[in-house]
Amino acid sequence: MNSTNRIAAQRYAAAYDALSKTNEEASRRSVLLHEVQMALDSQQEAMNSPRITLQTKKEVVRTALSGSPETANFIELLLEAKRYYLLPEITRRVATLLDDRLGIVRAQVYAAKELTAAQKRHTEQVLAKRYGGEIKADFITDPSLLGGLKIICRGEQIDGSLQRRFAKLEEELTK
Amino acid sequence: MAIRPEEITSIIKSKIEHFDTSVDINEIGTVIQVGDGIARVHGLNQVKASELVDFGNGVKGMAMNLEYDNVGCVLMGPDQQVHEGTTVKRTGEVISIPVGPDVIGRVVDPLGKPLDGKGEIKTEKTMPLDIVAPGIIDRQPVKQPLQTGIKAIDSMVPIGKGQRELIIGDRQTGKTAIALDAIINQKNIPAAERCICIYVAVGQKQSTVAQVVKTLTDFGAMDYTVVVSATASDPASLLYIAPYAGCAIGEYFMWQGKDVLIVYDDLSKHAQAYRQMSLLLRRPPGREAYPGDVFYLHSRLLERACKLSNENGGGSLTALPIIETQANDVSAYIPTNVISITDGQIYLESSLFLSGIKPAVNVGLSVSRVGGSAQRKTMRKVAGTLRIDLSQYQELAGFAQFGSELDKESQRQIERGKRMTELLKQNQYSPLKVGEEVLVLYAGTHGYLDTVSVADVLNYEQQLLSYVRSEHAAVLDELNQSQELTEALEGKVKSLLDEFKTVFRAGK
Ligand SMILES: Nc1ncnc2c1ncn2[C@@H]1O[C@H](COP(=O)(O)OP(=O)(O)OP(=O)(O)O)[C@@H](O)[C@H]1O
Ligand SMILES: [Mg+2]
Repeated sequence: MNSTNRIAAQRYAAAYDALSKTNEEASRRSVLLHEVQMALDSQQEAMNSPRITLQTKKEVVRTALSGSPETANFIELLLEAKRYYLLPEITRRVATLLDDRLGIVRAQVYAAKELTAAQKRHTEQVLAKRYGGEIKADFITDPSLLGGLKIICRGEQIDGSLQRRFAKLEEELTK
Repeated sequence: MAIRPEEITSIIKSKIEHFDTSVDINEIGTVIQVGDGIARVHGLNQVKASELVDFGNGVKGMAMNLEYDNVGCVLMGPDQQVHEGTTVKRTGEVISIPVGPDVIGRVVDPLGKPLDGKGEIKTEKTMPLDIVAPGIIDRQPVKQPLQTGIKAIDSMVPIGKGQRELIIGDRQTGKTAIALDAIINQKNIPAAERCICIYVAVGQKQSTVAQVVKTLTDFGAMDYTVVVSATASDPASLLYIAPYAGCAIGEYFMWQGKDVLIVYDDLSKHAQAYRQMSLLLRRPPGREAYPGDVFYLHSRLLERACKLSNENGGGSLTALPIIETQANDVSAYIPTNVISITDGQIYLESSLFLSGIKPAVNVGLSVSRVGGSAQRKTMRKVAGTLRIDLSQYQELAGFAQFGSELDKESQRQIERGKRMTELLKQNQYSPLKVGEEVLVLYAGTHGYLDTVSVADVLNYEQQLLSYVRSEHAAVLDELNQSQELTEALEGKVKSLLDEFKTVFRAGK
């Protein structure tokens, strides 16, 4: 994705997010957009096909989303602006904006073995101390780490894995 | 493989025991696009311009463009292992190169990795590639000569230590030859005044660089020379940093109080590499599609040449940048830029080269704006009128072509000019000592050659030099050392030349 697309996606996402005054509204809208995106995903071919006119596509969206005219408007706007293909990216960004509103910090925690519930809770507490806010971590098992944890959070990588230490030791010894 | 001292079991054990158990915390980003040696990275929010970033697998990169939602990085290695989704780490460092006495005699790439297969280079210090040039108060004016051993240059376009003298000319006009001769000539100079030499090859063929290294080795010049090489097959990013790497090595020695001579061969290719990078990074193109800051690219490099003040140790860094022109066009963008930043230029012309005048220095268009004050008095005395004599000769020679009758004086000038032009020819790899240059030029400018036929001039020079080397070594020594041509010394030279008249055999 080139930088124009990324910038455009960010603008649409910010505009959609700005519709909501309260956090509840924002999470409702975010969930809705996500569902719509998932539903439309199965119609990819039709939605991107040049053989179906814009008018038809709009009508389909309007009838399908008769319950939430606002979201229907948003999708129509994307169709008109020929930015429909950005919908998945926009949805992702709307979710991130919602996280920011709610003070949620996402993290990926890699471990060689599945962590116990207590270990998971402890990890989240430690991360909360470092980054503030409420930590929502994805716990991923990666046996190649051998031991220790590797955490990616807020654009930082905290690597305490055995794998890295071995790599460093190798570097040191072969120098 | 031999066992190295650091491989003793106890040392290995302690290395393992005391191995740092801390965790690594790095700011990271993700590659979102890669190609043509450029990677766009999302994340790395705190990264600074010119910072070194790590793509893993031993591939490093440099952050060049800090944009709204991504960072444009140039890769310093092959881009095959970098793909969309690759994690990129900040290093918090700028690019630096290992420096120290052990680098001398080696061939390295712009990151300091040895290319000559002579093993690792052990240095304690590293220098960042891009540092701000010494300020005004840190410097002093150029005042010592840097002998190139080339008659035409030392006499008419003298170079001083700390000067920036451009060598400019079309392809195959002997640009590299002049720079190499200047390096080889350092061998002729007493160790105290000798320059440490750095030859930076930018965008040349591997075979050409290998040839240069071989030449330098054969002449024993590698003992005091470093070769920094980024060849045509290297990524543009390496070509871009090569001159700065060479300069950083040179600056290290300069701050140690040493004299350094650095050759950038050549800056045209350097500018092209930078243009390639800039266009791929989507920076706006300007004249000849070069980016707007291409002037700054070279000015910040050449500003680093200087003569340090005595308080700073009095070291110097002399730069000989080389520029290749197309069809003798010195008014193209890069040539005019570099001409305006340097302290003069040696202009080599293909027509002269082809008519057998080698080195093909165009006397009228070559200048040295500061070297004159650094020239030795002996040399200044013998070469004082040389430039004027030669340009008068060229003017008159134009008239003479029309077959017009010339008066006696003009004819004399033409005859003198022909001989001086002949005398200034010089073979490659045969730089002369100052004293020898002074002696030979003295003979020319004081009429000793007027009776010798033009075809015999170089023959005369050969015989004179070998005669003096064997019979009058003391006078030659004095000429080499003395700063001034005293009356006594001049008398000795005169009598020696008179004596040689009887020894010289023409047509041999
Ligand atoms: N003074 C000289 N006497 C005789 N031959 C010379 C002299 N100077 C250079 N040559 C020869 O001329 C050729 C071109 O010289 P050189 O490689 O130095 O030119 P260049 O301008 O650096 O070329 P390029 O554009 O390929 O870098 C070489 O074969 C070299 O040996
Ligand atoms: Mg060359």
